[in-house]
Amino acid sequence: MFQNRAEALALALPAVLFASLVFLLPVGILLSEGFRGETGWTLSAYTSFFDSALNRTVFFRTLRLGALVTSISAVIGYATAYAIVSLPPTARGRMIGLVVLPLMISPVARTYAWIVILGRTGIVNEALVWIGLTDEPVRFLFSETAVTIGLLQLFMPLMIISLISALENMPRDAVSAARVLGANWFQVFWKVILPLTREGLVIGGTLVFTGSLTAYITPAVLGGSKVLMLETLLYQRVTVASDFASASIIAMILMIMSFSANMLLKRLATARRRR
Amino acid sequence: MLKTLLATSVAVIVGVGVANAADKKVVISVYGFAQDEFKEILYTPFEKMCGCEVVVETGNSVERLAKLEARKDDPEIDMAVMSAHDALAASRMGITQPIDVNRLTNFNKLYDIAKDPLGDYRGIGYTFYATSIVYRSDKVKIESWADLFQDDLKGRVAFPNVTTNQGPPALYMLGKAIGNDDYGLEAPIEEVAKHKDDIVTFYVRSSQVAQLMQQEEILAAPLGRFSWGAYTKMDLPFAWATPKEGQTGGMNVMILTKGAKNEDLAYQLMDYWLSTEIQTKLAEALVDSPANSEVKVSDEIAANLTYGEETVKSLNLIPPADILDNREGWLEKWNADVGQ
Repeated sequence: MFQNRAEALALALPAVLFASLVFLLPVGILLSEGFRGETGWTLSAYTSFFDSALNRTVFFRTLRLGALVTSISAVIGYATAYAIVSLPPTARGRMIGLVVLPLMISPVARTYAWIVILGRTGIVNEALVWIGLTDEPVRFLFSETAVTIGLLQLFMPLMIISLISALENMPRDAVSAARVLGANWFQVFWKVILPLTREGLVIGGTLVFTGSLTAYITPAVLGGSKVLMLETLLYQRVTVASDFASASIIAMILMIMSFSANMLLKRLATARRRR
Repeated sequence: MLKTLLATSVAVIVGVGVANAADKKVVISVYGFAQDEFKEILYTPFEKMCGCEVVVETGNSVERLAKLEARKDDPEIDMAVMSAHDALAASRMGITQPIDVNRLTNFNKLYDIAKDPLGDYRGIGYTFYATSIVYRSDKVKIESWADLFQDDLKGRVAFPNVTTNQGPPALYMLGKAIGNDDYGLEAPIEEVAKHKDDIVTFYVRSSQVAQLMQQEEILAAPLGRFSWGAYTKMDLPFAWATPKEGQTGGMNVMILTKGAKNEDLAYQLMDYWLSTEIQTKLAEALVDSPANSEVKVSDEIAANLTYGEETVKSLNLIPPADILDNREGWLEKWNADVGQ
């Protein structure tokens, strides 16, 4: 496209400089903090981080909730996305608008709304008591359940949107063809839809998982310090203990978790393709 | 390294702003809270009086301490206000210098407890707050800190996180109630851990408690007196407990930085801030409870503050040095017993 490489490089230079200066350099400094020991470079901060029982609990809880939110999003996301793609164009546009709508509301407002909805006198508890499922209101707030619900509501739209665009690119008659050839619905999903939409699943899955790991407001408000996650633990280390070394370790762990999830999902997708 | 980098960049930004300002100025570092009221009551009148500019930097105490430490050798800030234990931490870092109280004409008007809380005049108290228990008087009765764990409050009580300013004092009083007033707080933390499933949440912001109370999610919680005003406005019967072990609380102090460039103005501002006029106005605006013993306010205002020498004297405060020396231990014990 360009006459020579130099011209192309010169054009890219401002962006490269900007990104290096305001992103790569600070991130590098932040992450290097975790490898700095009393006497030099060391990994000891990482090993001692995992020596603490609390840190291990928080790490596995973050991983578990992230995986749970991603899996539920995928299951509900496929059903929703499939239903939306089957609609006529006008209705489809409207439904996509409805899916995107919550993304335009501040996560703070959405999270606080859950406090009201899930509270003792909230609509969920009143319904449960009215149906007779329970005599006393159930305590949802400040539990893993509340955090899971909050994260699901926050990130599921991203999964649905990714899956909608993947399903739209799938040949329309693939499903009918499979049905005609005698496949049941499970086989249709597993052998036709899933392989043809795996890119969407990888993108949606990465967005939802990474979002769940790095969300701060939802675990802070709906979980509080009883349901610490890595992000809320990071905040605690910085603001309370002024412990920037632990904070940078947590930041590094979060980055590794996000990258690993992305690689794992990609691997799953290509593994199916090769078969 | 990171702290230095962050602090320097902030200092540079602040520095740029200052370079364009008037020649005479005083730079102060304060809590972000009630800045509109402070501007109206304190900063603007002071600027008119001294013919100088008051440059205000705000933030939470950790950020502000980090900035002060980063600029230790060339301080930008002349004077700062913080909690007594943060002030002691600042002094241990070598950021502050003793205050020459002879230069403060209002010094003798202060309650004795505020005059020299850190020793060697390393800080001077300018406000207090009491911490006790707010509860629903129609549903429960609270006469002791141990009543927080009564059967009627199972699943209906909140407790401050150990990381908040209310947490350690509340734990200390709980310790007293169960017969152990050691500043190590091991016994009360174990007591909280024993009841942790009965505690709805360990709150980090006082505003969170107001919401949970309003929603009737909780019926009681230890709280700083500075947030009491909100409860008097709610349509529910709330009471402020006077437990038999007493109330606890905290004190905020003023400090002078070592090598302050505008020391004279800093002294003038401190003196003005401690004056009966300003302390009265801040009290009437329900911003800060007075440390000046000459301040007189109406009963209605007094009811919303931590007011009067008797009240102030009766507060069971944890000495700042004990807070600093035990803080890491509290957090570790709390995280191990309660946090999981």
